[in-house]
Amino acid sequence: MERPNNRLGWLFTSPYLIYSVVFFVVPLVWSLYLSITDWDLIAPEYHFVGLGNFLDALRSPGVRSAFWVTYKFMLVFIPIVTVMALTVAVLVSGLPRCKSLFLIGFFLPYLSSGVVSSLIVKGLLSYNSPVNTLLRGFGISIDWLGTPMAALFVVGVILAWKFTGYYALILTAGLGSIDKEIYEAAAIDGVTDRQRFWKITLPLLYPSLYTTLILAFGVTFGIFTEVYQLTGGGPNFATNTWQMEIFNQAFKNLQAGYASAVALLASLATFASIYVVRKLLEWWGKRYGWS
Amino acid sequence: MRKSNAVLLLSVMLGSVLSACSTGQGNPGGGAAAEGGVTTIEFWAAPNPTQQAYWQQMAKAYEADNPGVKINVSVIKESPSSEASIQAALAGKSAPTMSENINRGFAAQLAGSKALVPLDTLPGFAEIVGSRNMSQTIESWSFADGHQYVLPIYSNAMLFGWRIDLLKELGYDRPPQTYSEVLELTGKLKAANKDRYLWAKADLADPTAWKRWFDFFMLYNAASGGNNFIEGNRFVGDDKAGVETLTFLDNLRKAGGLLTQNATDPFETGTSVFADLGPWTFTYWKEKFPEMKYGETFALSMPPVPDGQDPAASKTFADTKGIVIYASATEEQKKAAMDFLKWVYANPENDLKWFEQTMLPPARDDLTTNESFQAILKANPELAPYAENVPNAVPPVDNAKYNELQTLIGQEALNKVVRGEISPQDGWANMKKAIEAALK
Amino acid sequence: MVGAKRHRQLRLAVRYAFALVLLLLLVYPYLYMVLNSLADWSQIDRKLIPTSYTLKSYEWLFSGGETGVSRPWTTAFVNSVIVSVASTALMMLFGVMVAYALAKLKFRGRDFTNNFVLFHMFFPAIILLIPTFLTVQRIGMYDTYLGMIVPKALSLWAIFMYTNFFKAIPDAFIEAAKLDGASDWTIMYKIMLPMSKSITTVVFLFLLMERWTELLWDMIVVQSDELLTLNVLLSQMFGPYATYPGPLYAASVLLTLPIIVLFVIFGKKFQEGMQFNLK
Repeated sequence: MERPNNRLGWLFTSPYLIYSVVFFVVPLVWSLYLSITDWDLIAPEYHFVGLGNFLDALRSPGVRSAFWVTYKFMLVFIPIVTVMALTVAVLVSGLPRCKSLFLIGFFLPYLSSGVVSSLIVKGLLSYNSPVNTLLRGFGISIDWLGTPMAALFVVGVILAWKFTGYYALILTAGLGSIDKEIYEAAAIDGVTDRQRFWKITLPLLYPSLYTTLILAFGVTFGIFTEVYQLTGGGPNFATNTWQMEIFNQAFKNLQAGYASAVALLASLATFASIYVVRKLLEWWGKRYGWS
Repeated sequence: MRKSNAVLLLSVMLGSVLSACSTGQGNPGGGAAAEGGVTTIEFWAAPNPTQQAYWQQMAKAYEADNPGVKINVSVIKESPSSEASIQAALAGKSAPTMSENINRGFAAQLAGSKALVPLDTLPGFAEIVGSRNMSQTIESWSFADGHQYVLPIYSNAMLFGWRIDLLKELGYDRPPQTYSEVLELTGKLKAANKDRYLWAKADLADPTAWKRWFDFFMLYNAASGGNNFIEGNRFVGDDKAGVETLTFLDNLRKAGGLLTQNATDPFETGTSVFADLGPWTFTYWKEKFPEMKYGETFALSMPPVPDGQDPAASKTFADTKGIVIYASATEEQKKAAMDFLKWVYANPENDLKWFEQTMLPPARDDLTTNESFQAILKANPELAPYAENVPNAVPPVDNAKYNELQTLIGQEALNKVVRGEISPQDGWANMKKAIEAALK
Repeated sequence: MVGAKRHRQLRLAVRYAFALVLLLLLVYPYLYMVLNSLADWSQIDRKLIPTSYTLKSYEWLFSGGETGVSRPWTTAFVNSVIVSVASTALMMLFGVMVAYALAKLKFRGRDFTNNFVLFHMFFPAIILLIPTFLTVQRIGMYDTYLGMIVPKALSLWAIFMYTNFFKAIPDAFIEAAKLDGASDWTIMYKIMLPMSKSITTVVFLFLLMERWTELLWDMIVVQSDELLTLNVLLSQMFGPYATYPGPLYAASVLLTLPIIVLFVIFGKKFQEGMQFNLK
């Protein structure tokens, strides 16, 4: 066994340490300091408000909506993206040829910037667009970005579109690592396709699913660009995410102190939720025999 | 092991707090002071390509005449927001010498933080006001302390456009002027074609603060005869006028006249017949919708008024921004900045160039009377109503919290009324309560 | 049996067809973007597939948009390349170094650093934007190339990926090299890196793409025209007073195309890298 070599260890990690002190710790401390003041960064004098910012935040509709909206997005985004990614993975895994081509193709949406995809969706869903004109022909008129449920759905779908290919890659790798002999044994036992999927494939796919789901849950806490471009957090806070709220407070209302307090609350909510999600996923894994 | 880690972390944090508190090192953006006799000033132009191009021209021309001054024109960053960029520059001691694109509300915040130079204390300001004929316009810009902090560049007296060709089909040969007339028109419009709307504007359902300038304030100013909304730190809104405005919108909604879904170019394509129009729209139309012709396809009017009021006395919102000079600049820079402005505005030709290139009417009292502008008004008759109504336009609220306060208008009242979620009276009452709470 | 073989062939064909349709659906927004960037201005956002085409949108962009005054396109493109490549190279270098330490070296504070990296990754970065900007100013990097490169010279994700990857490399290799007298630097360059070819392609492409499409930071930290990146320049072409959808789509195409080209070229390696790494 190696004896600890501290100097070397610190040397190799020094890039990260220096970087994080300058570009993370310093701004973080600054931001913590701001969170207990009412400073907007330019006023000549400011006051310490202690926990005042935090209390205001907890009472504000903006922060309350941000808290709940994250979970609402989870309900929309997670199922859609998981089902889509699984479908693509299963579909492509069964293709004897051109697998790479398809996987790359499905991955392409991940490369688009949120600004560009929001722009396209705005165009596709505008009142006079061919999509809506067609729907109106059937008597269906949906205010896509103006109805809370629809807006959540639209943003959720855009994100699912973006991440499907990425997650499909992960799941395809997972599918590929399942031993073929297990399937052969199952075939001999006369297992149906449906049983095979739910009782064999899925449980064996657990590690990849774990990675995918953790990543997906992480995404819901960082939703910003699409909401910023399409709904601005509306209608009536229906799509207001943590990032959107912080952005509005910091850069529109120019309340640097208050916004820092909101950011702190956001990180608390994020850490707590990710912890719960991880515990839930690990419990699920145990049921499948993964511990 | 844990204890030393904690000590390490603590000392790192302490060190960073100390370094963060120290004063900044140099101000790269503030512009070097006089070096070898040359004063360099930094001019931040609005994030609008036409405005940036104009100021670059002006700067070059001025430098040719004044070799002792160098003017660097660059663009205000609009992400995260243009106000935040200026705020960050000020906080980091790299503010420019002067910048445009400042509205009255933001100026109030800056002035309150002593970040701006009171322009009337700099020699040359009175001359500019005189030579540019803006004594009437500049009156409404003075602040509570009696000083002038902003030199308004342009003033768009916001008007409403009507699709007069479609109105003719319904039997109207001039646009309606009162609320009932508009509602009557809406009824006829929907009866003829239920996929047509009076006003298609997604912003009506959007709480973003500045959007209220182009819907609520246009109507409220007309309904209240130009009554202020907020004065200093008090809410002085005209309750009756406010509720009338909201009721008007509510009635339009009930009649099916409002479309709050995002639509591309609804006015130009005939999906709607009524829209708030700024003079910048016409360059856009020249490129994209050349079939829009003043008098034939569209007409312009001041905002409609509640029944019983005189349409001729209608008021509207002044979308107006101006230039400020920052207190962090050196004395030479401040002098040079003011001199530059004096030079630009001594010649009405420069205002004409501005008008032609940006389509934003200069903030002058003599737009319709001064000969220099006759040519452009003749060539673009649609600009005449804008020029005429500059004195009838009320500039934005000048409270430092304007962003938050205007957001409340949308959140509590307008957005909800437009979606049918609340009655106009309740919406106004809630909004008033929220605004008064925020003003404390 | 012929019947069974036919049956299998049919199912395969259906599979391919289904996959193709799904792919087209997913890729359709890109097609929409490209088609609309080349479409006649009267047809943009009105038809699913435009019928008449023009280069007007691109001309509008390159000839200065509304102002008619040309903007520094080639400089911006070069700037984007410089900034992206430099940042990515640094992120890779530091990523490997730090990951090696976290995965293979024993030293006091290793666990703490590991947890700190995780904490760093999950913190809402948006609130640190202004304080980071002010810090950068105080250091004197405002409006410089360094200001664009250094604050983005480290990627937590890269550290994370490499750490996990290195952990999976058996210690036996390293111990053997140590017996031969190799220093840790040599081990890193001659053993760890060559073994991580697959993941390196993946990380490199991901990082390059993210850096290339970065807008916010490059916009805030730069003031002069000469330092603008392509992304920032594109955002400046459009003022607040008019939306020109055609040119907006054209700008989007210009921004997305280099990345797509890169991925199509390196696609196979990338995909293999992902598969290998995720097993």
